[in-house]
Amino acid sequence: MTSAPIHVPVPKVLAAGSFRALRRELGRHPTGAPLVLDCHELESTDALVIARLLRIVAEGRAAGHDVHLAHLDDAARRALANVDPVILEQDTAPRRHPLEVVGAHALEATATAGQIQRLAAATVAGLTRPFGAEGIKWDRTLRQMALIGVEAVPIVVFISLLVGVVLALNGATQLRQFGASIFIANLVAISTTREMGPLLTAVIVSGRTGSAIAAEIGSMVISEEVDAMHTMALNPVRFLVVPKVLALVLMMPLLTVMSNLAAISGGYAVGVLGLDLGSDAYLSQTVQSLFMSDVTTGLVKSVVFGVIIGLVGAHRGFAVRGGPEAVGRAATSAVVTSIIACIVANACFTALFYYTE
Amino acid sequence: MNAEPILPRLVVEDLVAGYDDTPVLNGIGLSVDAGEIVAVLGATGSGKSTLLRCIVALLRPEQGRVLIGGRNVHGERDERDEILRGVGLAFQDAALLNSMTTAENVALPIIEHWGADEETALMLARMRLARVGLGRAGDKMPSELSGGMRKRAGIARAIALDPALLLLDEPSAGLDPTTARAIDELILDLRAQTDMAIVAVTHEVASIDTIADRAVMLADGRMIASGTLAEVHASTDPRVQAFFERRLVDDGARGGLVGELEWKT
Repeated sequence: MTSAPIHVPVPKVLAAGSFRALRRELGRHPTGAPLVLDCHELESTDALVIARLLRIVAEGRAAGHDVHLAHLDDAARRALANVDPVILEQDTAPRRHPLEVVGAHALEATATAGQIQRLAAATVAGLTRPFGAEGIKWDRTLRQMALIGVEAVPIVVFISLLVGVVLALNGATQLRQFGASIFIANLVAISTTREMGPLLTAVIVSGRTGSAIAAEIGSMVISEEVDAMHTMALNPVRFLVVPKVLALVLMMPLLTVMSNLAAISGGYAVGVLGLDLGSDAYLSQTVQSLFMSDVTTGLVKSVVFGVIIGLVGAHRGFAVRGGPEAVGRAATSAVVTSIIACIVANACFTALFYYTE
Repeated sequence: MNAEPILPRLVVEDLVAGYDDTPVLNGIGLSVDAGEIVAVLGATGSGKSTLLRCIVALLRPEQGRVLIGGRNVHGERDERDEILRGVGLAFQDAALLNSMTTAENVALPIIEHWGADEETALMLARMRLARVGLGRAGDKMPSELSGGMRKRAGIARAIALDPALLLLDEPSAGLDPTTARAIDELILDLRAQTDMAIVAVTHEVASIDTIADRAVMLADGRMIASGTLAEVHASTDPRVQAFFERRLVDDGARGGLVGELEWKT
């Protein structure tokens, strides 16, 4: 036997305030008995009122109430006649347990790592065939070298110069107390060639190039250009990824050398012009402090950073689904992920070199 | 000596496919011979484009096979690429590479697969473009072309390598009647001169009546009619009739909410 229905009068005007009050009132009734929204007083049944009534019904039904409408006028009936009943089916996906969320993220991260690994394997396969019909696209690679390398020189030099100045000024305040100002040359030279040069370059190139790679490939995905390449039996990795990664691998060490030189020049300017250290003394101190291994470890790192930036950017681009908004997200994600990956790789390298030296 | 059997250019067998556990195609079968134009019909969302994606191996089916020239297109990558060199697909929105000129787009497969030098490939690309009425648009970037011109450039790229099988995704959708008619004539002309097998996915009734020898109609991922154009026109399925007569299908959904919501005392 069903319980007696509970009649709830709908006010004359279902404006924002009365709508909220009605929703609250419905929430107070126990489930089980049918709830009937009596609309006989309702004066206006325009589209917004109908939408509000439907929202109350949908929410009520999702909460377990058997909600109905009574005394609808002809206008309301006509409006409701064009509505698909599916509109009342609310998304009632249960909230996931936090552990489930963590697990889902872990699975997603594993899947992403697998995708990047496959992309890396396809890129290496492309790099192993330098010439011939299936070989590297050298014209595209040269264009990318200009875009990624040559055009990045001014910003890399400018920022590295300033970092060199800052390093020297900070070092000077401490070292001057011990009469050891000349060791600013050591500080700037070693920290720049081993750590700051490659890392600064990686951060700048991530921002300039990682985002550009993700955006370019992502927009090609959404405009079906990548699909078109597949259907023409053209390998998108060979056309889009190999030239970029190769350009990054070739240009990152060169940019890093420029970054090193610029930072050392910044330190030199502070030492010679600001601290009255002799020009020859500063330069010879710099040369004496540096070992070849300092420079080469920095250059090796920069090559690895180039590979990371290229592969992460390309992966984020190929993973784009949806519209232009997804391209923007992919570009942001490429920058964030590649900077984090470069910093993690840098820490690993530093630890490795520390324990093996 | 036995002659080589003449295989249909395209055979689709019992195809089941979908995205993320959502089935889109359910048991589709299709066969297209050389020199034949088959129209795949259906309303938006009926699975037509998904069928095309399966045929060109952009989507791996859960079940069934796609044979092009008797070879399974979903096999090894090298074999797939070899098969696809004999297939041209004109995308609905052309999908031209935006970083290249129109002629460079058409020349790309010619350079890559026929090994032509760039100048020769561009010459051939301009010939293909002239074939679709775009002889003077070769130096324009895709963004400078109108919708109809882009579609025709997409067809020029699809026929660049003289494919044995040409697939057209909505070739005349969204075009003015004159341009749509010109594209229909182009398709008929291509068939007459090259004996290509052509599959045109479309929902343009006028276009279907002009170009198709046979038709297959999809609804909710299933084939609801297939045969010659006359046979499909004569189908008693209400969805087929509604499609050709451009009227609404009564799916029982209309008017449902009043009865469902109103309290009956």
